[in-house]
Amino acid sequence: MRGFGSTRGLLLMLAVQNLGRRQTRTWLLVAAIALASAVTFAGVVAMASVTASMQVGLSRVGADLMVVNRDALTNITNALLVVEPTDSTVAADAVLRADIHGMAGFSAQRILRTDRSGFGAAGEPVDLIGFDPGTDFTILPWLSERLAGPMRPDDVILGGARDLPLGSKALIFGQSFRVYGKLARTGSGTQERGVFVQVVRFLALAPAIRDRLGSLPHMLEPDRVTGFLIRMGPASTELQARFALLSKIPDIKVIVGSALLTGIRQGLGMLLGGLVLLVVALSISTAMMVALLFSAIMAERRREFGLLKAIGARNGQIVGMALVEAALATAGGAAIGVIFGLLLLRLFERGLVHHLGEMGIPFLWLDGARTCGVAAACVVGAALVGMAGAFLPAWRMGRRDIHDLLGKES
Amino acid sequence: MLACRGLVKHYATDKGTVEAVRGIDLDVPMGGYAAIIGRSGSGKSSLMAMIGGLSRPTAGQVRIDGADLWALREPEAATFRNRRIGYVFQFASLLPNLRAVDNVALPARLAGRLGHREAADVAAERLADVGLTDHFDAFPAELSSGEQRRVVIARALMNEPALLLADEPTSDLDEQTEREVMALLRAVSRDRRTTLVLVTHNLALAAEAEQIVHIANGVIVP
Repeated sequence: MRGFGSTRGLLLMLAVQNLGRRQTRTWLLVAAIALASAVTFAGVVAMASVTASMQVGLSRVGADLMVVNRDALTNITNALLVVEPTDSTVAADAVLRADIHGMAGFSAQRILRTDRSGFGAAGEPVDLIGFDPGTDFTILPWLSERLAGPMRPDDVILGGARDLPLGSKALIFGQSFRVYGKLARTGSGTQERGVFVQVVRFLALAPAIRDRLGSLPHMLEPDRVTGFLIRMGPASTELQARFALLSKIPDIKVIVGSALLTGIRQGLGMLLGGLVLLVVALSISTAMMVALLFSAIMAERRREFGLLKAIGARNGQIVGMALVEAALATAGGAAIGVIFGLLLLRLFERGLVHHLGEMGIPFLWLDGARTCGVAAACVVGAALVGMAGAFLPAWRMGRRDIHDLLGKES
Repeated sequence: MLACRGLVKHYATDKGTVEAVRGIDLDVPMGGYAAIIGRSGSGKSSLMAMIGGLSRPTAGQVRIDGADLWALREPEAATFRNRRIGYVFQFASLLPNLRAVDNVALPARLAGRLGHREAADVAAERLADVGLTDHFDAFPAELSSGEQRRVVIARALMNEPALLLADEPTSDLDEQTEREVMALLRAVSRDRRTTLVLVTHNLALAAEAEQIVHIANGVIVP
């Protein structure tokens, strides 16, 4: 008992020694928890990464539907990434008021094509696109490079065909903006040559634009937008949505994207949801088995607990020692499991992710902070499961007659 | 002074209620030596468990030096057992992963009464008292049955209790070791003025006690 001066230290030492006393069982327990934690950790990180990658990848194929004014000209061969430049507008709250069933989300866009913005070479026509980063799902997924930190109001994003460096200044209607990011090449002319501004900042340009152009285009009015991009939820068809939109919003045109891509997006979304449920169910069943195992281990040691109580250990000390023992074994196992899980992810990266990269398909790993969060959750979760399994039998033993505990053979 | 009044112990079983102890009054003076004898199932171990604070009586009272043992709350009862009662059980009741000296020091360490070093010093004295000077660092598995029982006696004496309870402490020992252990128990009881209560079915051992309590069917018989 060298080095453990306090009673707490004594109980901690007893807990550690109990684990060491039956090494085969302890290592089997640690190995089982390590394996479960490795699978849970690697599974959660990989699933989150795959989900994020798929969301970006599928968002890159564009929206399912586009709603614009009936008079607007549209290029139906383009992927639905941005609305087309037009003077015609629709009410900014039209889609919200229509309350279309089965919509997963929508994003309003305003677009102004002008050769008098002062951006780029003199007299060059520029498409200024006002968008809301909070609802956007077709522009930001195409970001190929950006500055660190979130996009600020005075930031702009440039289409892939523009070549100003990140962080440089850009003058638009006499006002200064910082180049925050740049999109990858999309094949959509409007997007490749577009200059994307947050909608609040876009509307704030109205006085400067009125001064320069002599009048205010409609899309710069707060209650008007050029159009909407709509993403459908699982198990809802764009055809139903199209009819519903046309019947509820007057004077609009609804452009439907690729039905095949919509189906793939919906199917993969449901598949991922199912896989998440499977991982959750597996984790819960493992947790229950670990709890059951600890319950049995505690019950097996009732004579030892009875002896400790007889010579003066309090109920709280008995329960505390059992919890510490359970937490040490399970948290230790989970920590080993996380390391093992990292190795599994490394294999995953060298295999599938490498091949995806070679095919030009981006794979977005969960960022470091969140990965650490998942690892910590695995360790803490495992410790809690072990403690939950140990608590009830230890607490029950604390309440039983000591004579009864001593009388039972281990 | 140990004083028991109207002690009753019932156990609920699948076949109904078993009346293990049915109203026992018992007094043992301070420093006295009492032997409780009886056949298996007579209720002697149940009586001992109630006296030692190990099993709550269905009815009745146990007083040790005036303190009503079963009126104490759990933390106070734990402290009372730790400080005032020493136990020698009929099974090898040592923690296998602790050295002899650490097993002996355990009651003092659990109570937080002594630090590690002081507890080890006192434990070494107790081990010397029971003739195990050369076995401080031995683990239980390295000791003979008799030596293990001596370690248990040293542990029971660690906090200098007022009452020493021994429940068939020699039942698994050979005759020679049994005599040695009993002599040791008797000696420490006498030297320290510790009240000794022994449960046994060995009439020869009981004959050496100052007071013999014969129990049959849960009651004291003449």
